[in-house]
Amino acid sequence: MSAEARREALKALVSADDIAFVAPPILIPPAPYFDLAGEEFGARMILTSAADGADFCLRPDFTLPIAMRHLEIGAGTPAAYGYLGPIFRHRADGPAEFDQAGIELLAHEDAGSALDRIVAFARATLDLYGAGATSVRVGSIEIFEALLAACDMPDVWRPRIRARFGHPEAMGRLLDRLADPHAPMPGPEGMPQRAIAEWVGELMATAGLSPTESRSPEEIAARYLEKQALKAAHVPAPTIDLLRGCLSISGEADTALTALDARARQAGIDLSAVLGVTRARLDQLRTTGGFDRLVFDAGFSPRLDYYTGVTFEISGPRGVLVSGGQYDRLLRRLGAREDIPAVGCAVWVDRLEGGAAQ
Amino acid sequence: MSSIMLALPSKGRLQEQAMELFAASGLTIDRPGGARSYLGEMAAMPDVAVRFLSASEIARELIRGTIDLGITGEDLIHETAEQGPEQVDIVKRLGFGRADVIVAIPDAWVDVTDMDDLSDVAADFRARHGRWLRVATKYVNLTRRHFARHGIAEYRIVESLGATEAAPASGAADLIVDITSTGSTLKANGLRILGDGVMLESEAVLMVARNADWPGPRRAVLDRLLSRLG
Repeated sequence: MSAEARREALKALVSADDIAFVAPPILIPPAPYFDLAGEEFGARMILTSAADGADFCLRPDFTLPIAMRHLEIGAGTPAAYGYLGPIFRHRADGPAEFDQAGIELLAHEDAGSALDRIVAFARATLDLYGAGATSVRVGSIEIFEALLAACDMPDVWRPRIRARFGHPEAMGRLLDRLADPHAPMPGPEGMPQRAIAEWVGELMATAGLSPTESRSPEEIAARYLEKQALKAAHVPAPTIDLLRGCLSISGEADTALTALDARARQAGIDLSAVLGVTRARLDQLRTTGGFDRLVFDAGFSPRLDYYTGVTFEISGPRGVLVSGGQYDRLLRRLGAREDIPAVGCAVWVDRLEGGAAQ
Repeated sequence: MSSIMLALPSKGRLQEQAMELFAASGLTIDRPGGARSYLGEMAAMPDVAVRFLSASEIARELIRGTIDLGITGEDLIHETAEQGPEQVDIVKRLGFGRADVIVAIPDAWVDVTDMDDLSDVAADFRARHGRWLRVATKYVNLTRRHFARHGIAEYRIVESLGATEAAPASGAADLIVDITSTGSTLKANGLRILGDGVMLESEAVLMVARNADWPGPRRAVLDRLLSRLG
């Protein structure tokens, strides 16, 4: 099959049946990306500005423009979108312009059957390009969130630890710091929070800072006390061991989930509900996708807080070929009133094409 | 005759000190067109053409390889391009033009003393304030690298090309990344440098452009120049 024929067949896959094939503009405002993904992702975007000063970026993905467009027809309306076209990102290992194809299923209530469609699409695409041996890495956001919610620790740390999930280095640093908290704040001890807030408020007034636009005196005073109390009310050592132990689990999927279950049980935590869901998702990858070598990596996640459920990455010798997962919080983050089920995957056409051409 | 192009800062203390450096090695630089001319000559080595450019232009042209060697601030090499430092060889650190690129927060943030504190504040910030923590700076690349090294992803950069230290008071940003030599401007604006908030200890450096063409005869001129500088 020629490259053109493969591309036509891929286009057919992303516009089959009820899938609406969409081609969002290439030149778009970058603000939604910065708002959702912050500066780290922002660094990879190709930015430009108009003569009137308006900022633009070259479309760095399809998911966000599709989700924003979906909101216009009503967040809760079930819909399927497909795409194939160039996206633009600075990257070390290839040109900044490259093709991506994919499908996104939004507001489909049956998460299992939606994932089945995504997995079947991934399989059909890999077959189309004759991608041979692949490895599949699977992670689960809901397992980690369930574990974190059940752990014994002061509540202030849960969101901070959650924010580092998917970034092993940052997570490691934070856990190291919690295991060995630095000396309590120097400064007046035993001051009530109100007195600290007044002191901070005076410092702010002297420096001409607004007490409401950024961190407030009360917020600073509360964290000051929290930091002073860190020695007394820090995260218990067994909790840190548990998190470290669970996050390091990676290997053949069934073995890894069994190990995770056992490690959590040791700490008196029952993860069977979320583990059951994840096992069912793994079975879908095996049965619907025909992927037999599944690796479950407990620490694997995109470092974006709108992903939920299961996330997966299918790799060949040239790197990641397909990445996908569930992202039920995205539409809410963009303005929907509640979480809306969402699942999708993107295929890296240049790598697939490179493999097929050989 | 093969010649190479040396670029020096076109004004201020940096220019004087760069000229003195060469003069001290017997390589006096003359400006036949007068002090306002952008061309210079090195009588002791006529195969070195001298150009006076702005410090940021020197950084940009060194990275591109359109000049062969030059003196400018190290911070500018980092800031002009993300991969800037990989495009040049630093052959001599010069000990003048010293300034640190630092992270500074409002002094009123009494609970924040180092980058770890900032990472906690950043992780909580959006849930509390409905927006990302904002960092005003012109040092976009250095800031991204330093924050990534400390595992901080939850922030946004507000580009600021002047009077960055005023950004927290004006409400444009929550904290800043800026260059400072004495810290007095920061103090005057009620800002404090984090304990581990020094990102780069910058100084003037003599650099050779990797992206320039280096056929043998030109390389020989360069080697002669560098050996005279010691």
